[in-house]
Parts: sequence; structure tokens; C-alpha cells
Amino acid sequence: MCPHTSLKQQFLKKWIMGLQRCSFSKKNMSILERKKTIKLSADIAMASARNGTTRWSRALISNASKDGSDNRLVQQILGPDSNTPAATTTNKAGTRRASVCKKIVKRSHQIRRRRRKCVAAAPVKAVTSSISEHLVRKRRQVLKTLIPGGEFMDEICLIEETLDYITSLRVQVDVMRSVASACFSQS
Amino acid sequence: MDKGEKDKYELENRNENSINYQAPVMSSDWQFGGANLTTAGMSLVPSGNPLAIGSSCASASVADSFGSNLWEHPSNSQNLGFCGINVQNGASSSNAMGIGKSTLTSLRSGVDRPFDMGWNAASSMLKGGFFLPNTTGILPQSLSQFPADSAFIERAARFSSFNGGTFSDMVIPFGMPESMGLYTGGMGLMRGPEDMFAANGMKSVSGVESQKIKLNVTEATRDACLQVENRAKKSPGNDRRNGSLLRANEEAKQGIGGSGNESDEAEFSGHDGGQDEPSSLDGAGGEPSAKGLSLKKRKRSLQDAEIDQAKGGQPSTEAAKDGAENQQKGDQKQTTSVNKTTGKQLSPASHPPKEEYIHVRARRGQATNSHSLAERVRREKISERMKFLQDIVPGCSKVTGKAVMLDEIINYVQSLQRQVEFLSMKLATVNPRLDFNIEGLLAKDIIQSRAGPSSTLGFSPDLSVGYPSLHPSQPGLFQAALPVTGSNTGVIHRSLSSQFTSLTGGLKESNQLSNPWEDELHNVVQMNYGTSAPSDDLNVNGPQPSGNT
Repeated sequence: MCPHTSLKQQFLKKWIMGLQRCSFSKKNMSILERKKTIKLSADIAMASARNGTTRWSRALISNASKDGSDNRLVQQILGPDSNTPAATTTNKAGTRRASVCKKIVKRSHQIRRRRRKCVAAAPVKAVTSSISEHLVRKRRQVLKTLIPGGEFMDEICLIEETLDYITSLRVQVDVMRSVASACFSQS
Repeated sequence: MDKGEKDKYELENRNENSINYQAPVMSSDWQFGGANLTTAGMSLVPSGNPLAIGSSCASASVADSFGSNLWEHPSNSQNLGFCGINVQNGASSSNAMGIGKSTLTSLRSGVDRPFDMGWNAASSMLKGGFFLPNTTGILPQSLSQFPADSAFIERAARFSSFNGGTFSDMVIPFGMPESMGLYTGGMGLMRGPEDMFAANGMKSVSGVESQKIKLNVTEATRDACLQVENRAKKSPGNDRRNGSLLRANEEAKQGIGGSGNESDEAEFSGHDGGQDEPSSLDGAGGEPSAKGLSLKKRKRSLQDAEIDQAKGGQPSTEAAKDGAENQQKGDQKQTTSVNKTTGKQLSPASHPPKEEYIHVRARRGQATNSHSLAERVRREKISERMKFLQDIVPGCSKVTGKAVMLDEIINYVQSLQRQVEFLSMKLATVNPRLDFNIEGLLAKDIIQSRAGPSSTLGFSPDLSVGYPSLHPSQPGLFQAALPVTGSNTGVIHRSLSSQFTSLTGGLKESNQLSNPWEDELHNVVQMNYGTSAPSDDLNVNGPQPSGNT
């Protein structure tokens, strides 16, 4: 992936930094802990590579920093980027409240829309359209759960964030796969 | 912006008109009216008013800019005929509603300027049965749009006799407001207002080609009408649709043409003009001729849109963007387009914060209230982004439909996330020397990330042979790390090695490595890693020191 090389390098750098910082201190971690650490550091590195430009990265970092045990690691990784954690924390707090309000409003809108559609449209048409809409809505809900911080995004934003998230996931997978293959090819 | 553009058009037209149309004031009026109408049409969607309103606004603004009674009257009458929007001639607009009776008086009441001789002549002709003689710009174009209506045809004939057919176009549009209700129910009357608007837009091009312009506009509007015709006819939404369609046409034209040259328009109008006139007269055929006219008008509106674009830098870019978007979305749609300038000019008084307004054309058979239109815009935005996702997610190109595509996307994201988990687990099981490994693998990973995994893996075994100085405990790792040939990788390695030295772990290997790495960098065979830009290395190295400290 030529266009992603810079992103890969960035991610790799940050990931290794995070790993070094955390792995040096704890040498006797269980395998699960290690895996968790690795994954977390990778995720944080990926999110920080975005420099807070995307919502999912901010949500990811804020979710990680809210947890006490992970917060330390997050701070270590994001040490130089002091503004990022602050922004994420504030964003998280704000989004929490906003998300709750949004959820309520959304639900009410959905209910109102459903009622309106069922009443206004022809019966047959309403059934078919509502079925398709229901399907799409369902899937959208699932997608929201997948993308970090996706519950608070509207449709357009959700799709954009999904795009970005997919590309970063790809980069992550490629780098990790190469690292793993290099590790295991030697030993 | 719109207003400014209109002014420009008007000025140009005025000059031309003064030169060419001393007598046929109508033609010049038409041009202006057309310009007004087009702009008016453009702003129809935002305001949710019928096309007429938009046109009235436009014409009013144009008329004022020109400062000529002739122009004002036609524009006023046009506006009045369509809808009493809060135009400058608001008072006259109300009169215009009843234009059918006495156009002249209604116009005069609205306009302070005196009538020109030419206008009087035209108005007198119009009195015969036309609603708004003043709406010269609008009428000619709209005339061609109502071929089905025998009455319109008659009027068109009358108009044509008056001024080479231009008047006929002018007049008919005015009659439209009243007959709109009749036609919309029966046929695609929507064309009428569209044509009018298109005609208005055309008119602004040049006085000489007012006729042609009008024809072009009618063509353009006809195209719009055709679109409308194809769909179910809905009388209530016709007006809005016409306006929105007109706008869409114009915007689509803008996007397509983008030339914005008056000459282009003139040329186009010339073509269309010749076609429109006979077609309008042949309106007896009804729909077929109307269709032809609407096609022409659509072209016209496109031209107008182009010209408008040329006049305003911002709108052109936006329109071009929108045009491109429209084209992408399919020619049938012509639904969404951003037209700041037109929006502004159309209803400056009613909707000041309309600059960011997105002009959407209501499709035939669809509701035209602002909510549904906004929803349509939103839906198109979403579909556009889904297209990007289609390219990224493998296996999604053949899939159509939101639900299935969302399904694929969900599956893909889930699979990627599972891969990350699996790989992290795999890495966790490597060994307690994970940190060393990772450092050692950094170079290799960098190489790999640069030039694909296959090439780097191929290199590492070859290059690992000649490095006996490496630490015996980690021969494989460092050997793998050594094949760093490019200067870029060397820089990275140096930075990495510096990183390693700063580690609290006190990696002796790293210290040893840094030296052999640097040596190796010079000695190792250079590998072509494709695009390994030094800038990347610099960027990579930049934050490193800060991070390490």
C-alpha cells in the first residue's frame, strides 16, 4: 500500500514507543494482559496518528483514557501530544451529555417519522419502504456499535468515519501482520 | 453575488439592448426578465415559493438595476404574474396577479418609471389576451412551453407577430399562472414556469439574441418539462417543481458547460431560437412540441447557468462542483446543486441567510416541501459517500442497495477488528523479548511497509548472511533489520537506534546495533522500495526526538 506507507510508519513508530514504555515496566504480564496491552497501544497509536481530526480517533482515546489502568499507558503514548488527551476528555464529557440528549431526540424523531410515514404513505408502499428502512436502520445501528464513538454520529458522519476507520484498521492489520511474521520468521 | 451577476448581465444587456432594441423593448425586457426569472427560479426551492415568485424577485431586482421602466415593467409583470413574492415591486406584484386584466396598469402601479414607447406597444398587444406583457423575458420562453394549450398557441402567434415571436413567449408565461392550475393537472405544465425562467436566463445574454435566447430557454425548460412529464403529474407540486427543475437544469448546465460565455449562450440561443419559434407555433401538437421546447429550454437554462457561473466566481466553482456531482449522480436527477448566487439574488429580502442554501430540484412525483427536499439532499450525500465505501470495501462494487452494502461494510469492519485482536494475541505470545523484537523488526517493518512484504522478506535472508558482527543472541532479528539500504531507511534506523539508546531498558544490543546498522546502511545493497520519500523519514524522525525525551 504505497499511499499508506507514511501512515504505516507513523503508526509503527507510535506503537513501538507505547510498547516500549509499557512493556519495560511490566515484564511479568500474563498473555492476556500482554495482548491487551499490545492491542491497546496499537489502537492508541492508530488513533493518535489521526491527530484528533476524526471523531472515532477522539472517541477511542477518550474511551481508553477514562479507564484508570489504561490511562497511564495512554498518557505515556500521548505524552508529547498534550493537547490530544485534554481535547478528548472534554470532548468525551461533552459528547456523553450530548449523546444522551441526541439519543432521546433521535428516538422521538424516529417514532414520529414512523408514525408519519405509516399514515401518509399508501399502505402497500409504506410496508415495503418501511421494511427496507427498517433493515437499513438496523444495520446502521450495528455499524454504530462497531465504530468507536459512532453512536453519536449522524448518518453522513457515520459513513465518513467508517471510511477513515477502515483505512486505519487496514494499516494496523498490515503493520501488525508484518511485525508478527518477522517475529515468527526469525524464531 | 447573484445580484451582482445579474447586474453585470443587465448592464451588458442594457448596452446591447440600447443598441439593438430601441424599438423592441420587449426583447430587452425579456432578457432581463429572463435573467430575473432564472434567478428567481433558482431561489425557488429555498423559499419554497412557486417559480413565479422567484422569477418575480429576479425580475424585480433586474429591473431596478437597469433603471429602465421597460425592464421593470416586464419584470414586475412577470413577477406579479407568477407570485407576489416580496420583491421590490411588492405592490405591483399584487397587481400582477390580476394581470390578465390590465397588465399595463398593474405594471405601472408597481413601477415608478415611465413606460417606454416600445413597452406600450407591447402592452397594448398583450392586452389582447395576454397576462403580463411586461414579462417579456418570461413570456417568450414560457410560450413555447404551452404548446398544448391552444389558447397559448394563439397567443404565441399573436406575440410572434408582434415581435418576431419573442412576445409570444413573453406573454404566454404570464398567462401561465392562471392556467397553471389547469395544465399542471393535465400535463406537464411545469414546463411553463421553467421555460419562463430559462428564457429569462437566456435573455440576459444579449439583446440581439433575445429571441434566440428565449428559444433556448424554452428548450431548456422543455427539457425540464420532459423530465417532469416522465413522472406522474402532480398539480400541487408543479410550481415548485418547475422552479426547482429549472434551477436544476440551470445548475446542471452550469456544471456541464462552465464556460459562462455570453457568446456561447448567444450561439446556443441562436440555435434554439430558430427551433423554438417554429416549435412553439406548432404547439398544436401539444406534448411533442412542448417536449421539444423544453429540451431547448433546458439547454438554454444550462447556458444561462454557465453564464451565471462566469459572472460569479464563487457560484461557478460551486456550480461546477454541483454540476459534476449532478453528472455523477446521473443526468436524470439533476436534483441537487448548490447555487449560492442564484439563491442570493432570488430572494434577498425573504431569506437573507440563504447563501449556503442548496438548491434541489424536486423530482417529478415527489413532494416539494422543504423537508423532503432537504432529505433528498441528505440522501444523495449519503449515497455519494457510500460510493467511496464501495471502492474501499472489497467485493462491494457489484452490490447495490444500502442495506446490502451496509452489511458488507459491517462484515468488513468486524473482520478487520478480529484480525487486529488475533494479531495482537499472536504478538503477545511471541516472547518476553517482545520489546527487542519489535525494535529489531522496526527496520524490517519499515522496509516492508515501504515496498510490500514480499520484496522485503526476500531480501532479509540474503542480507543476513554477511553480518557476523551482530549479536549472536539475536541474529535473525538484526539481520532482518539490517537490510536497510536506502538513505531513507538509514535515517529511520538512526532515529530508531537513538530511540533505543534512550530506552530505560538499557539495550546493549541496541547500542551495538546502532553502530552496525549505520555501517550496514552504507554497505547494504540499495533496494528499490518504490516510493520511499525522504520527507516521510524526516517527518518520522521529527516527532521521535520529542517523544523520546
